[in-house]
Amino acid sequence: MTNLRPGLIGARVQRLEDPRLLAGRGCYVDDLRRTGALHVAFCRSDESHARILRIDTSEAARAPGVAAVVTAADLEGACRPLRATSRMPSYQATELPVLAGDKVRYAGEPVAAVLAESRYLAEDAAERVAIDYEPLPAATDPEAALAPDAPRLHEDLASNVIVDREFARGDAEAALAGAAVRVSGCFRMGRKTPAAIENRGYLAEYDEGRRRLTLHSCTQVPGIVRDALAELLDLPGHRLRVVAPDVGGGFGAKVSLYREEVLVSILARRLGRPVKWTSDRREDLMSTTQAFDEVVRAELGVDEDGAILGLRAEIVGDVGAYSVYPWTAAVEPVQVASFLSGPYRVPDYRGRVRAAATPKPPTGAYRGVGRPPAVFAMERLLDMAARRLGMDPRDIRRRNLVRDGEFPYRAPSGLVWDRAAFTGCLERACETIGYDELREMQAAARAEGRRIGIGLASYAELTGVGSRIAVAPGMPINTGTESAAIRIDSTGAVTATFGVSSQGQGIETTLAQVVAEELGARLEDVEIVHGDSAALSHGTGTYASRSAIQAGGAAIVCARSLREKVIEAASHLLESAPADIEVTGGAVSVAGTDRRMSFRELARAVYTEMGRLPREVRERVDLEATGVYDPFWGTTSPATHAALVEVDPETFEVEVLRYVVAEDCGRVINPLIADGQVHGGVAQGIGAALFEEMVHDPSGQLLTASFVDYVVPSAAEIPSMEVEHLETSAENNVGGFRGIGEGGTIGAPAAVANAIADALGVEIEELPATPERLFRLIGPGRRAAGARMETGPGGRGRGNRFTANQTNSGGRSESGSGPTRQSK
Amino acid sequence: MKPPPFDYARADSVDEAVSLLAHHRGGAKLLAGGQSLVPMLNFRLLHPALLVDVNRISGLAGIEERNGALRIGALTRHRQIEVSRAVGDHFPVLRTAVRHVAHLAIRNRGTLGGSLAHADPAAELPMMALLLDAKIEISGPNGPRRLEAREFFRSALTTALDDAEMVTGVELPLLPPATGWGFEEVARRAGDFALAAAAATLTLAAGGKVAEARLAIMGAHEFPLRIAAAEARLAGEAPCSGALGAAAKAAREAVEPDDDLHASADLRRHLVEVLARRALESAARRARELAAQVTGGRAP
Amino acid sequence: MSEQRTIRLTVNGASFEREVEPRRLLADFLREDLGLTGTHIGCEHGVCGACTIILDGDSARSCLTLAVQADGAQVQTVEGLGTVDALHPLQRAFREHHALQCGFCTPGMLMAALDLLRKHPSPTEREIREGLSGNLCRCTGYEHIVRAVRTAAAAGETVGAETETASAAPPREAGAGAQSRGSARE
Ligand SMILES: Cc1cc2nc3c(=O)[nH]c(=O)nc-3n(C[C@H](O)[C@H](O)[C@H](O)COP(=O)(O)OP(=O)(O)OC[C@H]3O[C@@H](n4cnc5c(N)ncnc54)[C@H](O)[C@@H]3O)c2cc1C
Ligand code: FES
Ligand code: FES
Repeated sequence: MTNLRPGLIGARVQRLEDPRLLAGRGCYVDDLRRTGALHVAFCRSDESHARILRIDTSEAARAPGVAAVVTAADLEGACRPLRATSRMPSYQATELPVLAGDKVRYAGEPVAAVLAESRYLAEDAAERVAIDYEPLPAATDPEAALAPDAPRLHEDLASNVIVDREFARGDAEAALAGAAVRVSGCFRMGRKTPAAIENRGYLAEYDEGRRRLTLHSCTQVPGIVRDALAELLDLPGHRLRVVAPDVGGGFGAKVSLYREEVLVSILARRLGRPVKWTSDRREDLMSTTQAFDEVVRAELGVDEDGAILGLRAEIVGDVGAYSVYPWTAAVEPVQVASFLSGPYRVPDYRGRVRAAATPKPPTGAYRGVGRPPAVFAMERLLDMAARRLGMDPRDIRRRNLVRDGEFPYRAPSGLVWDRAAFTGCLERACETIGYDELREMQAAARAEGRRIGIGLASYAELTGVGSRIAVAPGMPINTGTESAAIRIDSTGAVTATFGVSSQGQGIETTLAQVVAEELGARLEDVEIVHGDSAALSHGTGTYASRSAIQAGGAAIVCARSLREKVIEAASHLLESAPADIEVTGGAVSVAGTDRRMSFRELARAVYTEMGRLPREVRERVDLEATGVYDPFWGTTSPATHAALVEVDPETFEVEVLRYVVAEDCGRVINPLIADGQVHGGVAQGIGAALFEEMVHDPSGQLLTASFVDYVVPSAAEIPSMEVEHLETSAENNVGGFRGIGEGGTIGAPAAVANAIADALGVEIEELPATPERLFRLIGPGRRAAGARMETGPGGRGRGNRFTANQTNSGGRSESGSGPTRQSK
Repeated sequence: MKPPPFDYARADSVDEAVSLLAHHRGGAKLLAGGQSLVPMLNFRLLHPALLVDVNRISGLAGIEERNGALRIGALTRHRQIEVSRAVGDHFPVLRTAVRHVAHLAIRNRGTLGGSLAHADPAAELPMMALLLDAKIEISGPNGPRRLEAREFFRSALTTALDDAEMVTGVELPLLPPATGWGFEEVARRAGDFALAAAAATLTLAAGGKVAEARLAIMGAHEFPLRIAAAEARLAGEAPCSGALGAAAKAAREAVEPDDDLHASADLRRHLVEVLARRALESAARRARELAAQVTGGRAP
Repeated sequence: MSEQRTIRLTVNGASFEREVEPRRLLADFLREDLGLTGTHIGCEHGVCGACTIILDGDSARSCLTLAVQADGAQVQTVEGLGTVDALHPLQRAFREHHALQCGFCTPGMLMAALDLLRKHPSPTEREIREGLSGNLCRCTGYEHIVRAVRTAAAAGETVGAETETASAAPPREAGAGAQSRGSARE
């Protein structure tokens, strides 16, 4: 699988990064060891909304191995205030302090940091920090938090409403009034956490001699972090380097700037010692950005043939306590409203969206960003309408999907869909899963008392968003472009540098495929450098399914200009017209002759062997190039998911029996990797559909503070999957690529929900569809019609396995000895 | 999430372990497989002064058939129970149950004694001890004693063990021939602690009537429960679906579950009935098959 | 702080003697004291499986094992499986099937798969999925992992690796079957 040209792009190339990762020779942030490093343990708030009355660090400061105990008071003036700004008119920015100052705004917020010789000692000392709180009233329900008289989370803001926006086209009310069938629901997905298996981790080191700060961070966006820290700490970029080494999964969890990142940077500089913090799982569950927490009240009207007439929605986002940098807390709820109409022709639409600040961990940009809840609501509404009309779910989608002649199609929120396989994906998914046969099988199974259901979900997303549209509206950073630099050095080796970074997407392989093919190099001779802010002047990172499009585009643009230089040099060296020079397999040659030079020979001739090239050529033709690529518009990635489930009507367990995805990611760079992206996304979507849910009690305490209680599905719960790629060329970007990273998570919750609804003949409006929810919906636990089920447990709960509220009743108890909370 | 400091001693004998426990009066903890204890330490929910490692005590692990019973040492790993021929032959219900405990890597380490002493309300082995009328062997400063499983579990995570006592093993009296069994569990994920589970054995007399029925449940009460009312309801009856269903209802009425994060008390009660019925049905089916094999004839 | 203990153990065939605090987790000992950072930490409460290693021939959680408990033990970590240039057949199958993305779960997944294949040389798909259910992967959706393990099982080479390691790492504990792995196989 090496130097076959043409066709590196599109080949099932085994990944170049694999050997080191498989052999345990990867290098993640926590693998970095530095002599003299200090390890941080945080004291995190155990109150959701409270005034901090007193922090006593004296005992902790005297504990063995402790170098410093730091609170907000110690950080005054250490950095500029951090606020995620936006030009959106109604938006209110919150200040994100590095450590909580006079108030805490969610349980888990860092209040004090202990720095010690080891993490063990730091945790010992953290147990000795005493913090007194005065609890304040808290509106943990997002709709309650919107009320004008709700307890205010940020005193400097006018209300808890972080943003209030409306998208409208036509007259949705009139359209609904004239509809033959109207269906509505209040759709809610559980608050989700990305739960990358690598917890967040940072290591900052300060070189006093050169006054240079290096932050090793598991970030997805080293460029954004560098630029932000440069501002906050007032350092020029050449004295501040942010490096993302191997990163153990991101999914959006690692696209925001975190206060812990800022803290280790400040303290490394202040103390002159390397400072390291590795989150543990409990902290990760309490502090990493969360998602999907919107209440979507929506109503759809269709005519008697199932054609959509109008759609109306009220969306309230439970965005948590702070607006994350740089994306803002508006990013997810606003996308719910702008994407709600999906891949369908929706003539009239009105969607209002409000984001409510609540005393919970901040939400951010997690895989799918707003589209999973939007697609869940829309796809459910379509099935509800189909059921009312006695129509097949496939037919109602056929009727409403934007068709081939209708592109570019302007969605009611203003998004524009470019030509992609909207209907093609639906048909292919149904064909692959054997839709018609399954319907027959379902009827037969039903006759035996088995509950089998088939669910479809179609969606479209915008990927690789260029400078014309902002990834998050009104944000002050450039998410539209990416840059690349490629050079052939004096040994003939090819190094290609990018501003994106990898958290498992395989860009060391896919970008090498693109560079090798476009440049005419051999795959094994191309080394990809990424995740290092010092390597390029500007780059933001990996998010929003943009790496293939933006970085792939930059790779093409850049490789092509380097190829021109190679050809020019070769034409001098091989004494032939540029048009006759071929560059392939890491060598240049003259067509139709045996005159040939390897890149190594070429590089020697250009750089080392004086006199081989005329002076003016040598000055002009260095073997390197840079390139910037801006797709300007975004690129549409549509898909249809089809799920087959069986529900045990007595135990309410749901098993996903089959799962098919037909998606259009344009030109596939590497089918192996493309499949993997879809599989992983689907598994996270099935997690959202059936298992995963962050539960906070009414006072804002997190009840799912371990991997025992926050249920990430394992191989035993995830079905085998079939993926079909339809490759509609994306004419609006240079590589013809469409993004693929997020789609799996966007479609799966809706497809599984529709399948369960189909199996049981009920409407699913809340996810995850846990045994408890299904019990309330169809079992003897069904409550009075119309009653909503609360999220999570009711009332007098026995604790989860790793909280210490079990009681003793004589005899020997497992939870008896010793203090249990780190601060009181 | 690093454990707090503690001291560590490796016991070479049960006596040594017990005297270390006695010496530290509640400040010491036994360390067996560590699969429940170490997570609690990592979360700093416990701050013991001393851990007494019992992993090197010779003779504490092993499975042995003697005097009409199977004796399983306290240090026997879940995995050893899972693959033991004797367990498979005599107690297929136990083998099935232990496969529901956690995952391979955890079963490789976790021990029977640790599981009984930890007494999680949704742990399989305590329920099996109860179902199989285990005699739990205990050693303490005052010498050994034996407790019936039903006297051992007191409440969630609490047993009849005194601070300085340890479990050394259990004895499971063999079941009569023609005893069928059933095991049913609902958990969120493979290997998770169950939302609820039920296990049953059913022994048929010559006429196809129930000679003895046993039914145990877990996950829906502070500790695993035997359902005496259900057992009494079935004794002497033909195991028809009506009788089994009534017994399952009795189980539902016997439990007092709490709400928690993953299931409400109502759901747990409901699951108890469903799982008890299914476990009894499997047990009855197997018992009939066995009876048919014994008589060489057809199932009654 | 409690007294340090001296422990001696064999890791990937090499012997080590070190002083450790009793509370030191084996995972931290391997990563920090021995520099074997291939073993990862994802939860420190036994659920994610990232820290899975082979301890005296069986898979175990290194986050739920104290380093002092490994005194006298034979430990195998991912570093003892294959090298970058000479991957173990199981690692090759993972690469061939793209069974890893970020690679963070991978070392634990490999060690779990190794133990699974030693105990069930030709598992069904269900057995693979349940056998690996103690190892969470957030990237792959497991599809390619299952395929890789199936391929490795079909090739049978991993099982060959078992006999090797198993004979190199006899159960060491004193006492009849204190850890009797031999009998733990049917
Ligand atoms: C991810 C995960 C999932 C799990 N899932 C399940 C499950 O589904 N079902 C299930 O049943 N279990 C489950 N467990 C728990 C596992 O089975 C434990 O191994 C078991 O509960 C405890 O056994 P141990 O030998 O590891 O005990 P340890 O953790 O060593 O000890 C537990 C407690 O028992 C005490 N103790 C240990 N041995 C003795 C003895 N001989 N006499 C007196 N006291 C003793 C200890 O002092 C300690 O207090 C799970 C564990 C994990 C980490
Ligand atoms: S780190 Fe050990 S199981 Fe997660
Ligand atoms: S490959 Fe990333 S967690 Fe498995």
